[in-house]
Amino acid sequence: MHIDLKKEIKESGPGKIGIIILLLMIAVALLAPVLARYDPYQQSTASLLSPSWNHWLGTNHVGQDVWSRLVFGARTSLLVGFGVGILSTLLGTIFGVSAAMLGGLYEKVVMRIVDAFIVIPMVIIVILISAYIRPSILTLILLLSLLSWQGGARIMRAQALSLKERGHVAAARSFGAHHFYIAWRHIVPDLGPILLVDFIYSVRRAVFMEAGLAFLGITDPTVVSWGMMMRDALSFSYLNVWQWWLVPTGVALSLTIIGLTFVGHAAEPVIEPRLRGAEVA
Amino acid sequence: MNKKVLKLLPKLLIPAVIFALLIFPSCPAGTPEISSYTIADSTGDWGYPSPYAHYSRGPGYIRMSFIFETLVWKDASGFIPQLAEEWEYVAEENAYIFKLRDDVTWHDGEKFSAEDVVFTIEYVKNHPNPFVTLIGPSGVREAIAIDGYTVKLYLEQPYAPFLNDVAGTLPIIPKHIWEGVDDPKSLTGLEAVIGTGPYTLADYSKEHGTYLYKAYDDYYLGKPFVDEIKFVKISEEMIPAALKGGSVSAGDIPPEVVSEMEQAGLTVITAPVAWNAKLTINHRKEPMSSKQFRQALAYAIDREALVQITQRGYGIAGSPGMVPPTSDWYNPDTPQYEYDRAKTRGFLEGLGYELEDSYFTKDGEELELELIAEASFKEVGQFIKQQLEEAGIKVDFRTMEAKTVDAKVEAWDFDLSIYGHGSLYEPSILKRVIMGEGFNSTRYTSNEKLSQLLQAQLSEMDAEKRKELVFQIQEIYAEDLPALTLYYPKWYWAHDDNVNLFYTKDGLASGIPIPLNRLSFVK
Amino acid sequence: MFSKGNIVTYVIAFLFILALNFFLPRMMPGDPLMAIYGDEALIAMTPELKAELVERFALDQPLWQQLGAYFVTLFQGELGHSYYYNAPVLPVILGRLPWTLLLVGSSLVLSTILGIVLGIESGWRRGSKTDRSMLAGLMSLNGFPDFFLGMLLLIAFGVTLGIFPLAGALTPYSGLSGLALLLDILRHLFLPVAALTLAHLAGGYLLTRNTMITVLKEPYMLTAKAKGLSQRALKYRHAGRNSMLPVVTQTGIWIGRVVTGALFVELVFAYPGVGYLTYEALLARDYPIIQGVFLMVAVSVLVINFLIDLSYPKLDPRVSYAY
Repeated sequence: MHIDLKKEIKESGPGKIGIIILLLMIAVALLAPVLARYDPYQQSTASLLSPSWNHWLGTNHVGQDVWSRLVFGARTSLLVGFGVGILSTLLGTIFGVSAAMLGGLYEKVVMRIVDAFIVIPMVIIVILISAYIRPSILTLILLLSLLSWQGGARIMRAQALSLKERGHVAAARSFGAHHFYIAWRHIVPDLGPILLVDFIYSVRRAVFMEAGLAFLGITDPTVVSWGMMMRDALSFSYLNVWQWWLVPTGVALSLTIIGLTFVGHAAEPVIEPRLRGAEVA
Repeated sequence: MNKKVLKLLPKLLIPAVIFALLIFPSCPAGTPEISSYTIADSTGDWGYPSPYAHYSRGPGYIRMSFIFETLVWKDASGFIPQLAEEWEYVAEENAYIFKLRDDVTWHDGEKFSAEDVVFTIEYVKNHPNPFVTLIGPSGVREAIAIDGYTVKLYLEQPYAPFLNDVAGTLPIIPKHIWEGVDDPKSLTGLEAVIGTGPYTLADYSKEHGTYLYKAYDDYYLGKPFVDEIKFVKISEEMIPAALKGGSVSAGDIPPEVVSEMEQAGLTVITAPVAWNAKLTINHRKEPMSSKQFRQALAYAIDREALVQITQRGYGIAGSPGMVPPTSDWYNPDTPQYEYDRAKTRGFLEGLGYELEDSYFTKDGEELELELIAEASFKEVGQFIKQQLEEAGIKVDFRTMEAKTVDAKVEAWDFDLSIYGHGSLYEPSILKRVIMGEGFNSTRYTSNEKLSQLLQAQLSEMDAEKRKELVFQIQEIYAEDLPALTLYYPKWYWAHDDNVNLFYTKDGLASGIPIPLNRLSFVK
Repeated sequence: MFSKGNIVTYVIAFLFILALNFFLPRMMPGDPLMAIYGDEALIAMTPELKAELVERFALDQPLWQQLGAYFVTLFQGELGHSYYYNAPVLPVILGRLPWTLLLVGSSLVLSTILGIVLGIESGWRRGSKTDRSMLAGLMSLNGFPDFFLGMLLLIAFGVTLGIFPLAGALTPYSGLSGLALLLDILRHLFLPVAALTLAHLAGGYLLTRNTMITVLKEPYMLTAKAKGLSQRALKYRHAGRNSMLPVVTQTGIWIGRVVTGALFVELVFAYPGVGYLTYEALLARDYPIIQGVFLMVAVSVLVINFLIDLSYPKLDPRVSYAY
């Protein structure tokens, strides 16, 4: 059964809003060099200034322009988010589908590992590892992906299992087609919508995690990150700078996550058709 | 005489009384007693305030110092008697003689005597105390009680900072409690906090990070006028609000709120510089192995601007001689390397570099250095990177785990790194961080004269002569520049003036820059 | 297949955690002893103690022997010694645990109950304006990270309005007792619990609502309606009860999330629980504490999940397989 994902989202009010927000954030991230008015790393003596024509959101404790850092921060969040999303969805699909196709001991082993990882709280592992090895952006993406593909794998396997018994797949098998061919030509295309939903939720989780880890101060501080900005802002909460330093950053972060949530939620009926009709725009 | 004077007497009496009252307005006995004084601290827990249980950092020592005392102590101007009334140094024997007070009692009522001092020294020799080392160059060879209240300490070697680092820091413990205690960490109850000091411990909570002290009635200088002292844990950002609201009497504050605090009627005090951040240079690796190159780097970094930007103006630009300009030991003739990019260019060109586009190159290779630091230095590192690149030197700045930075520096696997340390009051630190082993030292021993001077100042007991040696050290060190001191941050405390808090001369005990001297609470 | 398979899962997870704890310090550059004990070790350790520890952990032996030594010390119940706190790790963690349990427990209960109630009401009115606005509202709330919510609450109610205290679990040395003490604790607890509850409300809400929607279409609901049962009975006794099931099973996973959420909230409010302890240990690079907390939290989450898995068949007899 092919469900039209685009239709699902278009028909959902929150879904539309979510898409708009996401597109906005992506635009900001891509256009950051144009939107920023200063080099986000340029320090100056003009520290902790209130918003003015020169500095739309004032400056931080080392005189960097908050607005410029805000727009560049979008790049970091989305880079990590989408990076992890792609990688973990990829891994989840590979392992999930192959487990369903090959079955046997391979499937048992893979699924045991999958279950084991699902049960362990990811944040704690990342914090533990980061305490020893301060991760760069790339390492962070790798690390987060390695710890979040398991959820998707389970869904993919379940879906692949049910697809395996479908008519066209059975037919292909009876013609002697290889596992890989079947997987690639028959199963994966039908996984499309589910893949996307898994992807969206992976992105959301990754954006959240990167901000949280940056807030704790264990990610790379030479990279502009919303979480890191909020951390710096917190240490000046006794001044009134939080109004233009903390709040816009937190709102930007929250909006991004909300956008992803809305889109993901709108796409959920793809997996659970009985939910359709739950929100009529 | 008789009748006239008698008539005048009553008339004279009243103005006389008024006159007397005006002359003596404040009786010392009338110092208002304070029932409770609360001090805020962002860390909270610094360990049980017993000499072997507190965390080996300044604040841990301070909490113990309200209970335990030392032979000599310091106030805002210098050394004062404490458990020892008088002391003298016998140069020929390399020994100190301390004449002790005879009216001191331990909190459990036992009398204090020379026995306790001798015992403490022997005990600490066998059970190292994190704050005082009694073996090695700072060691005591032998401690003898000449009579009930006189001790003679024979030093291992002449050690210039003995009075400050040992006699003024070593807490004296009661023999009748610690005798026979093999493992000092095993003593954890009330007996571990029996001292001679003005306060006793009433309560300590590890997880809340709180301490409660009560005044010791029989303190030999008189019962402290502050009845109770409380240490409470409040996060750094919230301390100003707590001070303003009055729930706390004293605490350290961020520099930005200094004027706000003063407007709210609080007194703000600042510590004489105690800490510095340095740019450590790998002088064993090309091209940093050339003195000229290191000097070129110094000319390229505007340390004034560094303070303005990364410390928002709250600090002092680093002196290349390491000793801060506010110190008595400061040599005003130390070369300063005023910010001058032209000089950097001149020096580098002298070493064979050419400026191509915006960066220096030599033999076709671009000059690029790697700067590593711990995350807390991210702004400083960023600044240095900016400055050096503006001068034409490419910099790759990375932050990493403190352990990783330390390991790399230890293994000489770095170009530049940023490191900070305190203890700047006593010149003994110079030898440790210039010649010492380990990553927290520059391990610079290539200059024989410097090494010799560093060694000599440690055992020069004559203050004037020692000062001369330290002056020379600064000049040579600033010339050779194995590391460049970047800045000294300024620290502030605010309090409600009910107690006169002050910064101890040259830091409390061995150099702790915190204005919590127990003397403030006594008087 | 069910219980046996699941035990294997948890064993694998447990072994992974132990392996991580074992390998990380040994992969760091430099002396592994320093990596295990952290910075303070440099200052506080005597050469004799160092030698003793090297022997105990077999640090100069091949890796396999080290692994063995590691397991031995672990099963002796020794989680290590923190040189920063100058105390063994386990008592330090246990001392802070009650506050975290208080925080996490209250938030979990509140957010689950509120989430279920809101989810039921929302699902019941699916499609209506109330439902849609609750849905949008709670999903938006879900987008706010717990530390941001915490900071907003702290600044609004603590700093600006001054209604609630700025930090800690209670007023130290206040001399309060009984009811006054309880109120003091509750005043300090209010904002952190509010932050944590609001941040995790959406989880329970969404799941309950979704399940409610599916359940409402079930035939037995039609029967119940036909029987003429009251709205409330329909909502809560029939539909609600069955909608709760997924929430219960998800609680296992949520505990992991709420505990880590507690880390951030405790940090913002300087609440003296295990989360704040972990943050302080991170700053000080006190590895024994970090590892100790990691081990305890991971194991607790595993155990709780395991217990929930065991009880699931009992809660819903229809289900005999894991989803």
